[in-house]
Amino acid sequence: MSFIHLHTASAFSLKYGTTQPADLVERASQLEAPALALTDRDGLLGAIRFTKACLEYGIAPIIGVNLAINLHDNHTAQEKKLPRLTLIAGSDGGWRDLVRLMSSLNLSTGAPVLTLDFLERFSQYTENLYVLHGLDSPMAPAIAAHRNDSALAIFNKTRDFFKAHAIECVSHLAKGDGPGSITHAGRSLIFARDHDIDAVITNAVRMRGPEDGPVADILDCARQLVPLHPRHIGRTNAEAYLKSTPAMHALADEIARAGGERNARALLSTTRAWAEQTLLSPTRDIGLGSIHLPEAHVVGAESAQQMRALLRQRSEAKINWRYNGTQAVKSARERLDDELAIVATLGYESYFLTVADIADMARERGIRVSARGSGAGSLICHLLGISGVDPLAHGLLMERFCSPLRRALPDIDIDVESHRRLEIYDLVFKKYGDPRWDIPGNQSRCATVASFDTYRTRQSIRDAGAALGLPAAEINLIAKSPYGLRENNVKTPLAKMVITMARRLEGLPRHLSMHPCAVVLSDGGLLDRVPLQRNASGYPMVEFDKDDVEDIGLLKLDILGVRMQSSISYALTEISRVHKEEIDIDAISLDDPHTYELIQSTKTIGIFQIESPGQRELVGKLEPQTFTDLIIDISLFRPGPVKSDMISPFLKSRHGWSARKIIHPDLYEILRDTEGVVVFHEQVISIIATMTHCSLAHADEMRRALGNREGQQRVCDWFYPAATEHGYALEVINEVWEVLRAFASFGFCKAHAAAFAFPTYQSAWLKTHYPAAFLAGVLTHDPGMYPKRLILDEVRQMGIAIAPLDVNYSDQSYRVEITEDGTQSIRIALSTLNGVSADEIQNIIASRPYKDVADFYYRSGASQPVIESLILTGAFDRLHGIVKGGPLNRRDLLLHLSDLTKGPTMSSALRSQMTLGFDAPALESSGLPDLQSNEIVAHEVQRLGMDITHHMLEFYSHFLNSIGAIKSSDLLSVRSASTVLVAGVRVSIQTPPVRSGKRVIFLTLNDGHGCSDATFFSDIASEYLSTIYTSELVLLRGVTRRTGARGISIRATGIWDLRAAYEKWNTQRSTLAI
Amino acid sequence: MTPAHVRAQIAQPGEVLADGASGPIEFSFGGRRFRIHAVLSRWCEAGGWWNRISDGNFHPDDQARAVWKVEATPIGTVQTFELERDDLTGVWIIKSI
Repeated sequence: MSFIHLHTASAFSLKYGTTQPADLVERASQLEAPALALTDRDGLLGAIRFTKACLEYGIAPIIGVNLAINLHDNHTAQEKKLPRLTLIAGSDGGWRDLVRLMSSLNLSTGAPVLTLDFLERFSQYTENLYVLHGLDSPMAPAIAAHRNDSALAIFNKTRDFFKAHAIECVSHLAKGDGPGSITHAGRSLIFARDHDIDAVITNAVRMRGPEDGPVADILDCARQLVPLHPRHIGRTNAEAYLKSTPAMHALADEIARAGGERNARALLSTTRAWAEQTLLSPTRDIGLGSIHLPEAHVVGAESAQQMRALLRQRSEAKINWRYNGTQAVKSARERLDDELAIVATLGYESYFLTVADIADMARERGIRVSARGSGAGSLICHLLGISGVDPLAHGLLMERFCSPLRRALPDIDIDVESHRRLEIYDLVFKKYGDPRWDIPGNQSRCATVASFDTYRTRQSIRDAGAALGLPAAEINLIAKSPYGLRENNVKTPLAKMVITMARRLEGLPRHLSMHPCAVVLSDGGLLDRVPLQRNASGYPMVEFDKDDVEDIGLLKLDILGVRMQSSISYALTEISRVHKEEIDIDAISLDDPHTYELIQSTKTIGIFQIESPGQRELVGKLEPQTFTDLIIDISLFRPGPVKSDMISPFLKSRHGWSARKIIHPDLYEILRDTEGVVVFHEQVISIIATMTHCSLAHADEMRRALGNREGQQRVCDWFYPAATEHGYALEVINEVWEVLRAFASFGFCKAHAAAFAFPTYQSAWLKTHYPAAFLAGVLTHDPGMYPKRLILDEVRQMGIAIAPLDVNYSDQSYRVEITEDGTQSIRIALSTLNGVSADEIQNIIASRPYKDVADFYYRSGASQPVIESLILTGAFDRLHGIVKGGPLNRRDLLLHLSDLTKGPTMSSALRSQMTLGFDAPALESSGLPDLQSNEIVAHEVQRLGMDITHHMLEFYSHFLNSIGAIKSSDLLSVRSASTVLVAGVRVSIQTPPVRSGKRVIFLTLNDGHGCSDATFFSDIASEYLSTIYTSELVLLRGVTRRTGARGISIRATGIWDLRAAYEKWNTQRSTLAI
Repeated sequence: MTPAHVRAQIAQPGEVLADGASGPIEFSFGGRRFRIHAVLSRWCEAGGWWNRISDGNFHPDDQARAVWKVEATPIGTVQTFELERDDLTGVWIIKSI
C-alpha cells in the first residue's frame, strides 16, 4: 500500500518550506500516493492552490496547519522557540472548524500562537481536528530526556481538546538520540504504546527532494536574519523530503524495531487510518468551483425570484432615462431581455444587485464611481449606474463579460476617487461585515484580499547574499545591476553562488500583504470557508489571494482609487464655486468638437491616459474625431499592438495612404471603425459568430481558445468546416483565419478601452471648457505622470495666470480665482510648501485675515521655519506691498521675523492670546539688497518643489540664444530631418514597449514654452545613460521627425548637462563642439 | 595488528562489503579485515555546503553522508569454544571447536 504523508510544509510556510504546493502534489503523484497532506506553518495560505493541484492530479487532499503553542500562558517565551503542534482537519466538517479556528486565532490574539486559554474559549472549533505531536511538540524534549512522566503531563494539558491525538514518530536519521533520530522515534513509539495513544509515522516534510536542502538553509537564515552557520539552520541533513513508499516503509521498520516491535504493521496501519479520517473533498469541503453570492435579503429581496424581478425592475426603470426614441428603446429592451436571461441562467442576480448597491452607496455620499473592465459591456451595468459607457452605442458585448458557457464569476472593477476610497470600504464593511470576531459562530459577508509577495530577483539576491555573507556593497551592486549587466559584477565564486541560490528562491512566496484594492463579498458563510486576519489598515483580510478567492466562488470587487476621479470631482466643485454652474459630467455629450480639437492639438498634458509622450505622439498621428477613435487610440497604445505593428496599417488606411482592406462584405460593419484592422476582442467574437452563425457566447469561448497553440488547432478544426457550411469561400476563410490567429492574442477588450476612454474624454472636456478648474484639480490631486512644475507650465501655456502663495488667499488646495475683468488664475496651495503640516494649514486658514507678518507670527500658530518659507516664497509680498525696487524687500521681512522671535518666547497657543499685550518690533527697511531673481527661484524650488516666478531656463536664455537652441514652441516650424538643439528641465523618462523590442528611452523636456519629446535609441542611450538619468537641466541635440500634422519628435544624438555646458561656454566663450 | 597511528582511512574499491540498503557487513582497516557484529546507531549528515564554495557550481546532495556506528572485530579473531564446568569438583575444561 502506498504511503500517505501527513505532515508536509510547502513554500507557503513562509521562509521555511522550499517547494510550491503544486510541485509537492506532482511529486506525490509520481510516487503514486493516493493522498497528500499540506500542513503549513502558521496558516492556510497555500490551501486553495494545493487543493486545485490535488484535483488536477487525482490525489485526495488532507489539510492542516502547524502552529506554535505556548503552554505556559506567559508571553515571555520567544515565538520562534515555541514548540509546535500539527492540527489536521477531519473529514466531517474539519475544514470549517480549522478555518474558523485560524480566523479566531489571528483576530483575537494577533499572532498565530495557541494557548490553553484560547483552546478553552474556542473549544468548539477543535472538535473535528486531529492533532499530531511530532518533532517540535512540547513533549519531544521530555521524551528525549527519558522523562516519560513529564511528557505525559505535558500531553495531558491538551488531551481534552481535539477529536484525536497521535504521537508522530519521525526519523530524519539525525545523529544522536534527540528529536529526529531513530532512537527518539523509537522512544516516542514506546511512549505512545505505554499510554495508549495512537502512533503514526510521518517524515515532517519541508522539501520536495534532498537537493532542496541549501534552499531550506537560505530560508532559515532569511527568516531569522542571520548568516549561514550550523547553529542557525534547522537541519543536519537532507532527509526531510517527500520520500517514496519503500523508503518510508524501511524507516517505519527501523522505528518499529527501535520501539521494540517486531514489524511496522501497526505503525503503518494507524497512519493509514489517520489519513482516511482526514481526507477532504475539493468541491464539497473546500468549495472549489462553487459560487457564494450575498443572499436575497441582503440586496433587498425576499427570495431568488424576487431578486430576479428586482433586477429587471431596476434596469427597466432606467431605459427611458438613458435612451431616447422608439428604436433605441426597443433595441435596448431586447438587449436587456437577452442579458437578463443570461444572468438568470447563471443565477448572478445577486452579483449585479450587490455591485449596484455599492455604487449607489458611494454616489449617495457624493463619491464619483466609474466601472472599468469588461463590465462596461453589459447593458445591465450601464442601467444600474455601475458603468457610464453605453454598450449599445459602442458595440460592446455582454458575452465578453459574462457568459453562460463559463461558470466563473465575471470581474467588475470600479474606479473611485482615490482620496475617498476608504470611505467606500467603511460603507461596504458596515453593511456586509461583522466586527465581532471574539464570538464563536459569528457571520460576515466581506473581507479584503491578501496577495503573496514572491521572491523577485532583487530580493532573492539580497536574502541569498546576506545568508552567504557577501559584503553589503557587493550585494547592492549585483541587486541593482540592470538585467543583462548583472554578470559583469559577478566575479568571485561566492558572488556566483549568491546568483545560483537567488535563482532558486525566485517565485517562492515571502510575505503576505494586502491586495491593494480587492474586496470579496459572499453569503453569510464566508467565515466557514476562508481564514481571516486583520490587515495593516485594520480591515479583515482573507488569507488567500485573488485567484484563490475566485476559485472558491467569492465575488471579488476591485475598488480602485483613481486620482483622476478625484481631480475631476475637484474641478466640478471649483466650477460650481467659481462659475456657479452645476455640471453633470457623466451626461455630457460625447461629440463635442472643441474637445476633439484640443486632443488633436496634442496639448493633452493632464488628461487621463493620453498625456504621456508616446500617447501625445499617437493622438497627433491618429487625430481622434469621435469617442470611438478615442477607444481605438487607447487600445492601440499597448505592448501587443505595438509589437505586432497594428498601428501602421491602421494609420495608413486612416489617412488614405493605403486602401482600406475589408476581406468580406459581411465583415464590413464589424471592421469599419477600425479601418479593417482587428483591434478589439469584440470584433474577433463578432467575426467568428458572423461566419459560423454560432452564438456570441460560443464565439467568445473560441476567442479564448485562440490564446494557446492547442486551442488554436481546435478552433481551426472547427472554424473551417463551420464557415464553409455557411457559404464562405476557402480563400476568404484562409484570410480571416490568418487574421484571427495573428491578432486574437493582441486584441483588447473594447469594453475595457471604452471604460478608460470615458474619463479620458471627461478630463479632456473639462480641460477644454474649464481649463483653470481642471488644472487646479490636477495640481491638487496629482493624477498623472508629470511633476507639478510641468502642470504649472501647462497652466501658463493655457493662458491662465498663476497667483502666488499668499497667507490671506492661499487655501489647502489649488483654487481658481477670477478677477473682475474675467481673467482667471490659479492660486498656489499652502500644502505645496515643504515641511508644513496639515494641522498648521488648518490653523493658518482658521485665523485669517492677517494684517502683517507680526500678526501672522502671533496668531497663525505656524512654526518659524514655515514662516520663513512663506516669506521667501512671497506669501507676504502683497500684505507688505513688496515690489521690485520698492522700499521693503523679503530680506527685511526675514530680519523682522527674527526680531519677533527674539521677544519673549512662548508657545504658539500663548502667542495668539497675547497679541495685544506686546508691541511688535517695528518693521523697517534694513537697506539690505533685495533677493536676485535666481535666488528667488532657488527658494521656490527648494521650498515648493517648483519654479513659479521664472522658469529655471530663463537664466540660460542668453547662452541658449547664442548657441542657437530652439524653443519647444518653435519646433513645429522646423523642417523634418534637421538637426536641432533644445534645452529644458527633464520632466519624464519612459522606456515603453517598442516594436523592435530594443531598449528605447523617451525623454520629455520642458523649457517654459512647452514640451519637447526626444527618443534615445539603444546605441546613443548607452553612451549618455548617466546624463539622461542624473541631470535635471539638459541640453539636447537631435534630428527632427514629423509624426503628424501637429506632432514632431526628436531623435536624440547627444545630451549634456546644461549647467556644465554653460560653465564651459562661460569660461571659454568658444563655440562648443556640438 | 593495527598500527596505532591509523585513525581514519579511505577505503579502496571493494574493501567495504555492503548489503544494499541495510548497510555495511565487512570492511578492511589498517590492513586487516573486520566483520560487523552490531550497528549501534546510524544517521545521515549533510550541509556545510557553504564552506565548500569554490567555483559557484555545486551539487547540494553530493556531500550527503550516511554514517554507521558499529561494533566490529578482525576476522579470524573470533573463535568458538565450549566451556565445561564439572559440578562436583568445580573444575573448568575448555575445548576449541
